[in-house]
Amino acid sequence: MPNQVGIDVGGTYTDAVFIQNGKIQNTAKVPTRAENLVETLLDAFDALKITNVPSINNVTVSTTLVTNAILQDRISPVSLLLFSGNGMSIDALPWPLSYLELSGEIDFRGREIEPPDLREWEKLQTSDFSENLVHVAIVGKFSHRNCLHEEQLAAYLRNLYPSIHVALGHEWGQANFFRRSMTTYLNLGVSDMYTNFSEQLQTALSARKIHAPVSILKADGGTLPLAKIRPIDSIYSGPAASVLAGLAQSDPKDSSIIIDIGGTTTDLGLVLSGNPLLSTKGAQIGPFSTLVRSLSVRSIPVGGDSVIRATDQGFFLESYRLGPAYCLGGNVPTPTDAMRYLGLIDYGNERLAEEGLASILPTERRTPKYLRELATAIIDRVVDRIADAVDSLKHEWEEEPAYKVWEVLHPHETKAFYTVVSGGGARGLITALGKRLNNPVQLGLFSEVSNALGAAMARPTFDCTLHLDTYMKYYRVAETGEQGKWTGSLRPHREVENFINTLAQKQAKQYEVAIYDLEKEPFDFFPIVQDYRTVGQIVRGAVHLRPGVIGRVHV
Amino acid sequence: MRHTGILFFPAFDWSLGESHPEREERLLYTQEQLFEEGILDLPRIKQFSPRIASIHEGLRAQALFPTPQFHLEALDAHLIAAGSAILLGEARVRGDIANGFVLARPPGHHSGATVWGNRGFCTLNNEAILVNHLRAHFGIKKIAIVDTDVHHGDGTQDIFYHDPNVLFISLHQDGRTLYPGSGFVNEKGGPNAWGQTLNIPLPPGTGDEGYHYVLENWVLPRLQVFAPDLIINSAGQDNHFTDPLASMNLTAGGYGRITELLQPDLAVLEGGYSIEGALPYVNLAILLALAGEDYYHVREPQKLDRSVLTLSSIKPYIEGLKNQHQTINPHWTIQNKYFFPKGDWIYIPHSVYYDTEGFQEIRHDYIRQCSYCGGTVYIESSRSSFPGKSILVRIPFMACSECEQAGYELWDHLQHQREDADYGLLQNQLHDKQDLWQRKEGLR
Ligand SMILES: [Zn+2]
Ligand SMILES: [Zn+2]
Repeated sequence: MPNQVGIDVGGTYTDAVFIQNGKIQNTAKVPTRAENLVETLLDAFDALKITNVPSINNVTVSTTLVTNAILQDRISPVSLLLFSGNGMSIDALPWPLSYLELSGEIDFRGREIEPPDLREWEKLQTSDFSENLVHVAIVGKFSHRNCLHEEQLAAYLRNLYPSIHVALGHEWGQANFFRRSMTTYLNLGVSDMYTNFSEQLQTALSARKIHAPVSILKADGGTLPLAKIRPIDSIYSGPAASVLAGLAQSDPKDSSIIIDIGGTTTDLGLVLSGNPLLSTKGAQIGPFSTLVRSLSVRSIPVGGDSVIRATDQGFFLESYRLGPAYCLGGNVPTPTDAMRYLGLIDYGNERLAEEGLASILPTERRTPKYLRELATAIIDRVVDRIADAVDSLKHEWEEEPAYKVWEVLHPHETKAFYTVVSGGGARGLITALGKRLNNPVQLGLFSEVSNALGAAMARPTFDCTLHLDTYMKYYRVAETGEQGKWTGSLRPHREVENFINTLAQKQAKQYEVAIYDLEKEPFDFFPIVQDYRTVGQIVRGAVHLRPGVIGRVHV
Repeated sequence: MRHTGILFFPAFDWSLGESHPEREERLLYTQEQLFEEGILDLPRIKQFSPRIASIHEGLRAQALFPTPQFHLEALDAHLIAAGSAILLGEARVRGDIANGFVLARPPGHHSGATVWGNRGFCTLNNEAILVNHLRAHFGIKKIAIVDTDVHHGDGTQDIFYHDPNVLFISLHQDGRTLYPGSGFVNEKGGPNAWGQTLNIPLPPGTGDEGYHYVLENWVLPRLQVFAPDLIINSAGQDNHFTDPLASMNLTAGGYGRITELLQPDLAVLEGGYSIEGALPYVNLAILLALAGEDYYHVREPQKLDRSVLTLSSIKPYIEGLKNQHQTINPHWTIQNKYFFPKGDWIYIPHSVYYDTEGFQEIRHDYIRQCSYCGGTVYIESSRSSFPGKSILVRIPFMACSECEQAGYELWDHLQHQREDADYGLLQNQLHDKQDLWQRKEGLR
């Protein structure tokens, strides 16, 4: 295994880890400077004190840059133009942004039903809207089946405004007009900022003589080269990294629940027989529903620093943080104080922990007996919240829709789950968690830098999903939006396998991904019958390189 | 929020044959349309995943002859469609959803009280299995099934023909012009459920306006009188003007309006074989209407170019039907066999043609006339060129004690006295129990 550096830029701290042949050599933690991510990354890198920089084979970064920009509404203005066609009236959906509807319609097979209205396009140039026309996202309903209208309008606008940035929806090749529109919009909105970040980072790394390839971690737990990634794909890489860290420490065939307990939030993920669970719908970020492939992860607002508030019935576990735990100099009692009082952790001032907890109790009950009871109850409450979220994640997995008889007859078997816990709050909760979840709980290695560890161990993901309509004589690739002519037979059999392999090779080359262990999804063949005669087929199939890690780590 | 449930089970790996109209591609474009529209992102919509029904759940409504084992291998997809109906029905009854749409294949409404094979693309009756499940488990008493498939829902009618607590209404293209050739106004229900079956055969070319007229002026008032606890719509899409098998000339918008008028608690997909021209649009319109969203923008690309009957020509036809329906009187034949328990037994002969496999089922149905309950049903059934006779004994929901007694006497007689019967099923709906009997092995 090569020499890997993983860096995770978190909200408060940025973690880094250097791994040599599967052994963790060095870890580091530096404060995150939100206004200067490039400097932060370099700080973290420097803190690793790597003596032989040229020996580094790879640097993987998980960054909150895009996530924060979207959540803090700091994205460039984008005009969204939609060919919304007939069907459901699109304002039935909860759009968090404004759009302009244009006429022109394509159907589910990719046939043009109604051409665009050029008079509408002419009005675009005269309206105020065109004055500051810089970023334009154009998305058509069923454009993933035929991008004709999108490309026509793009060509038209580029001709009028040569400097304009246009993004087209079909490049996100999957069904769901609503999510495709938002994904196209967001990706375009963050692209300038991302390009800027990427360029600065390249410059800074060169200055440090780091010539190893730099990859960015994606929401689906995979990596792609800094220059090849679509910026929006980098959202939620933090929770994905913690799942990968858990994966890197467990048996390759195990099913595990990965829990990362931070100060304010706890992230959860599921690994099923060595494969992290992917969410079937795309990622949701703020008010935006996207097509971004992401791991099925949960974040709940519970952590070691969650505020404990006294109530008439006892106490309430709040979902926010007000600074550090009482035993660490804070002003309010927290689960960390309960852990400290019970001796489950060894940091923090014991007397302060007691004082903090006592403030919850009525004066007459401030005795060791009641304090112990209270501390235990607090820990149970935290563990309950986490366990509920685990159950709901498992439930969601069991409730995945099935569209084939085979899938219903082979349901997700109840698996034996191991639990890997990491994060600042982990140590004091493992016993209670193990009891509540009723399965073995293991404390993760280097749990304070587990996200950096996950980033370092991540490998690329790769998907190539083919939709082929031999009657219409076209094919589409869902991941890249590539559309092309099909010249093969009407009822292909073996030749589609070669075809998808060729497409995958080409796509992998373009993304600079080395593909191996490709997992093949069986092809579906749908006969297209007219007048009781088969006139063609719709063929669907895919190859995947699932999210995973390059190996296992040990101390 | 009042959720609309959707259970989408297209059974992409199951079909009756590559060029058969009921093939795996049937819901492919519907999936494309629904997913592309972002239907599942509507806050109102809640998606459910399918489950498989047990044989027990199937036998509660239908006798599989000669034995369930005989069918088992071919039943997977059918059991999942039926199980899906049950799952969404339960969600409705529990109040998890306000209404729902079971978009599953294969369909079921041509499958009747006795089943020897596949008929009209159906082997198990999804709605009937659902209805009996809900009555057995949730104590629901009165259910109305409105069948808007273009074909007569003869299987559903057969199953509930003697059931006074199920109102079955079927609107369909006149049986003289379309499969299965039944569903006339004189089919009004058995002796204990007279009037609980309402057939409205419509002339080819009826169209949206005519359909809505019949609903508003006949179906809805009838529903109101019955006041059911639950309304189930057997929602076939083959009334659409592009359907290759029928000629009723409905549009997708017309279907949306039907749904809006009926306000079903559950819609269950039945037929519909215009895979490209109709299904994606009709299914979308129905779903939107259920969710209370606009369906006016749902427009199929093809234009209606067939001639549609005018309302003024349909009105007198409907009046005629209504008259016929009101004036028709039952004429029952009483036929008490020597081994029948006391009471009067009405005899109704019944034969069924299985079009998919090309054989005939000959049935002799007997119903115990009863003024207290639905009455015990006794059916002798045999299949052409197949040895042996199979028997169904059904003790109805809310059976009176005499009818229950009668059922057990018949069941006992079958096992100990009858030489000519080989297989039997006792459906005790009163106590939700089923017994299977086979001559060679005895009771199992
Ligand atoms: Zn039909
Ligand atoms: Zn009775």
